[in-house]
Amino acid sequence: MQLVIDKVSKCYSGGNWALKGFTLELNPGVLGLLGPNGAGKTTLMSILATITRATEGRVTWNGSDVAANPDELRTALGFLPQDFGVYPNLNVVEFLEYLAAVKGLDAATSRRRIDELLSLVNLADVRKRPLGDYSGGMKQRVGIAQALLNDPQLLIVDEPTAGLDPEERVRFRNLLSDLSGERIVILSTHIVSDVEATATDIALIAQGTLVAHASPEELLRRVEGKVWEWVLPSAELNVAKQKYLISNTSRRGDGVHARVLADAPPVGAQPVTPNLEDAYLFCLAHHRAGVAA
Amino acid sequence: MKHARILYQMVRADFLERVRRYSFLLTLAFAAYLAWGSASGLIVLRLGEYRGVFNSAWVGSMMTLVGTLFISLVGFYIVKNAILRDEQTRVGRILASTPMSRVFYTLAKTLSNFAVLALMIAVLAATAPFIQFFRAEDTHYQLGRLLAPFLWVGIPAMAITAAVAVLFETLPVLRGGVGNVIYFFVWVAGFALGHEKGIDDFAGFEVIARSMQAALRKVYPAYKEDFSLSLGDSILATKRFLWTGVDWTPAIVLHRMLWILAALATAVVASLFFHRFDPSRAWSFRRASKSPAAARTNGDALATAVEPRVRPSPRPLTPLTQGAGETRFWQLVGSELRLMLKGQRWWWYVVALGLLIASAVSPTVAARDGVLTAAWLWPALVWSQMGARESRYATQSLIFSSARTLQRQLPAVWVAGFVVALITGGGYALRLLVIADWHRLLAWFAGALFIPSLALALGVWSGTSKPFEAIYTVWWYLGPLNHAPGFDFIGTTSATSRPVLYIVSSAILVSAAYFGRRVRMAYA
Repeated sequence: MQLVIDKVSKCYSGGNWALKGFTLELNPGVLGLLGPNGAGKTTLMSILATITRATEGRVTWNGSDVAANPDELRTALGFLPQDFGVYPNLNVVEFLEYLAAVKGLDAATSRRRIDELLSLVNLADVRKRPLGDYSGGMKQRVGIAQALLNDPQLLIVDEPTAGLDPEERVRFRNLLSDLSGERIVILSTHIVSDVEATATDIALIAQGTLVAHASPEELLRRVEGKVWEWVLPSAELNVAKQKYLISNTSRRGDGVHARVLADAPPVGAQPVTPNLEDAYLFCLAHHRAGVAA
Repeated sequence: MKHARILYQMVRADFLERVRRYSFLLTLAFAAYLAWGSASGLIVLRLGEYRGVFNSAWVGSMMTLVGTLFISLVGFYIVKNAILRDEQTRVGRILASTPMSRVFYTLAKTLSNFAVLALMIAVLAATAPFIQFFRAEDTHYQLGRLLAPFLWVGIPAMAITAAVAVLFETLPVLRGGVGNVIYFFVWVAGFALGHEKGIDDFAGFEVIARSMQAALRKVYPAYKEDFSLSLGDSILATKRFLWTGVDWTPAIVLHRMLWILAALATAVVASLFFHRFDPSRAWSFRRASKSPAAARTNGDALATAVEPRVRPSPRPLTPLTQGAGETRFWQLVGSELRLMLKGQRWWWYVVALGLLIASAVSPTVAARDGVLTAAWLWPALVWSQMGARESRYATQSLIFSSARTLQRQLPAVWVAGFVVALITGGGYALRLLVIADWHRLLAWFAGALFIPSLALALGVWSGTSKPFEAIYTVWWYLGPLNHAPGFDFIGTTSATSRPVLYIVSSAILVSAAYFGRRVRMAYA
């Protein structure tokens, strides 16, 4: 099972390049696709989900060109888009039965699968309610359920935890981890903690290009010895922000505790253990510095 | 002053948002088409066998009537989405959190609608001098006579159309497809009332017609009451007469201005029904009595009531033993059919059943024709969802990323629509079978093919249900109801029946739908 993204670019009308020469090879596991807003994540997801065509480059699924044979990938695909709608007059079972029919699943299998999925996403109690009555978080769970309907080998989820409460978010992360065994999961998000909890691989994307592709451990190693905690008076914080890359601040009795990313520590700063958010910000800052240079 | 500025900014933003959409080009193209139709003689204003000399007064008045007739109908459907757009873009929620009053909002939307419609009238006005030049029957240009009808007739007509569109959007029953169908009949009634009672109708037909008829009677006393604005009848207008225009007396102008007052009053009335984007007031007619009141309009209420208990160990998922994506076409047709009919209230089925039975047992063929005509208008809103549902409910990404969607889902939608036509018109077909009236049966079959084909093609290409609701209603009125040649897709009379034409048209429409969906998908 392999998904290969080979020098994929996407240009929208007006000459706006959302992706430029993006290359990545994916094998079973959870890939966390991280990037700032407007980085090109959703465009990449749409290309991989066969919603839109790449302007340049190609995507292959198990060696088969997706442009030539999209249905091979679609049959194996579960897709949770960032924005999607539901039919408000149907209840969740009817909606999932409909999508199961569209995906070509037989009625008996899909019925059993829908029961399990509703239990999994905690919607069994509201199965008879029209979808028009659902809250945003509940609709998001319907989206998660539909993505898993066909037991997909390739699961693409775009900002899946948007609108979920903390409890549901944890459940979804656990679910992703459980699902990741023999399938490729692509989790696109800008929430680092979601990726931290589930991803076996991380791809950082910015301005339509791949900034880094590594395991979480490897990314953390890149910032080892570059993260510092610095206690400074609140009045000096603004000056410090202009001089250093600060990933976090918290106000305490002795001043502001700033988490600083730098090769050399500010005077009086103490080294701390880096986390993925530090690594993410560090890689992005390096990328931007490289582009600016 | 402050209020005027706020109103101006609201109208301006809404107007710019509309005119910067590609669809607005179609709107202007429609106005340009009307101008071309007037110039070429495709659209002709006729008083029996007479028409006026193409001087400034005649050209200005003819173009104005063309505008008020067609734009008050088509324009209504074009602008009847001002409030809906604020809902869809969620801008409405932001507006609702400001001190903006309801009256202010409906007035602003009326003015914005009016600006769009007035722009279409302006396109016609701008082309009027060229038409006079092109026809070259009178080279004496009189700007006042040319433009006065646009000002005194066109502008009030557009104002009332703009306000009625806002009113329809605020009334719960009329804001959806039902309103689109009903407006056509309101529009017809508006003209009929003016004509029968001889009062100043909103489109200004009576005021202009009276003046033209009086002028013609002076020259040709034998002239009867015929007055028509029609398509392709230019050969019937064999004689010409000179008309110098309406004498715009203060009384007439005041009468016309009353329509602007009526438009403002309509906007105020609309504000009484405007939900101000409060989800607990923005109820849907279809779902009104279906769900508990609190939960019906606000998902949060339901979410709070049934917020899930934590289940730490959900059941594991059963792996699929059969491959996904295998062709189960009829299962999909069943799902599409259910999707189409889901949400209809019980009385919808009762009426459909009543029409079905009546079309089977009506004693005469004429009566059966009439009942079938009604039976095939009743499901218009069911058909109008075809091809547009995915766009309307934003489910494209879910459906278009499934395997063989184009080859399976789109045909399944069409078959489901065809099944609805077969069932609702089935009683009539059964009767024809019994009496072995094969020609009428073929015409009925052609109609059953044509309706879902038209719905699917319009739905796929427009992405909304509105074009089908408007076009089908007009088609149904002209053809099955009034037996206009070429429009009778049911074949209500042997003279107007064209089954082969409609079977061929159906094939073309289905192909257009397939092609339309194909170009919207990245991959077939």
